[in-house]
Amino acid sequence: MSNLRLINETLVTSAVSTVSVTDVFSADFDIYKVTCENFSNSTGAQNIDLKFINSSGSVITSSEYDWGYLRLNDYGSFTEARNTNDTNWENFWGKDDSASGETQNVVAYFFNPYSSSSYTFGLVQSSNALNSQLQAIKGIGVLTETSSVTGFQIVFNSNASNNGKIRTYGLRVDT
Amino acid sequence: MGLLQVATNTVTSATASVSITGINSDDVYMVTGVGIGVETNIREINMRITKSGTAQSDSEYDFAYKRIISNAVNANLGATNNSFIRWDSDLGTGTSEFTNFIIYLYNFNSSSEFSYGTLEEVDVNHSENAMGAQGGFVHTVASASDGLNFQGESSSNILSGTFTLYKVI
Repeated sequence: MSNLRLINETLVTSAVSTVSVTDVFSADFDIYKVTCENFSNSTGAQNIDLKFINSSGSVITSSEYDWGYLRLNDYGSFTEARNTNDTNWENFWGKDDSASGETQNVVAYFFNPYSSSSYTFGLVQSSNALNSQLQAIKGIGVLTETSSVTGFQIVFNSNASNNGKIRTYGLRVDT
Repeated sequence: MGLLQVATNTVTSATASVSITGINSDDVYMVTGVGIGVETNIREINMRITKSGTAQSDSEYDFAYKRIISNAVNANLGATNNSFIRWDSDLGTGTSEFTNFIIYLYNFNSSSEFSYGTLEEVDVNHSENAMGAQGGFVHTVASASDGLNFQGESSSNILSGTFTLYKVI
């Protein structure tokens, strides 16, 4: 049996401004892999951010989100962005768009989200087509508080997204 | 994609180095690290490959990374003919000043190819800054390797964390 265990699959099939994936992080795993496929919207290009959900079911909105990324652009120079003490991991999921075939796709890892004695760490790579261009993001993030995190929220910045699939896996360690 | 666990090692007390071995097929392998901390302030984790369980300290390591930093301009990090692989984490001993990583290993079992790897890493350093590294490395010796060895910089002990080796199936 694979040590990569599917925990949750969430489908976006109608217009939403946020997607909350709840109760996926637990004491069963320390490392999680999340994949997102084919986010798209009906309006235009937009950033997609990440927030976490604590064990009480509340979205964590404190200014404890540190992040940074390198964006690889097919149309010109690579760019980068960063921030500390933010209220989300900005652009952590990249961008989506409305043109036919232009979607956003991601693989991310989270480390120790459930632990109440450790910060929550994240890694991301994404590939996004928008405005007839490709942007790929390689990024990192740390939630610098030790609250127990049990889920995450994907925030579509300006337009509702109406398509996509999110899968959350746990990396099982057998001792 | 599936993962089959090959070995795991959880550090619960000060340990000079950790080896995680068991590569014995031509498959791709993955090593994860979570919550890896050091005993001494401002120390990196250095990595070497193992052959027959022994860490290789020759000067045959080439690596290159993009350092992604939450409070400063990103940086390039690379070296050739180094005696170990580093990713410049500069860990501390404060809250959650850990490194966490996903490493994929290629050609390790081959006796005729170099041993390659890709690395994605995220940490909080000794100045409480979120940082990370994304890049790759190669050990330019064409003989079979069976795992990885991790050691604190300047003989600092590793104090915490779990290292796990999976076969990608």
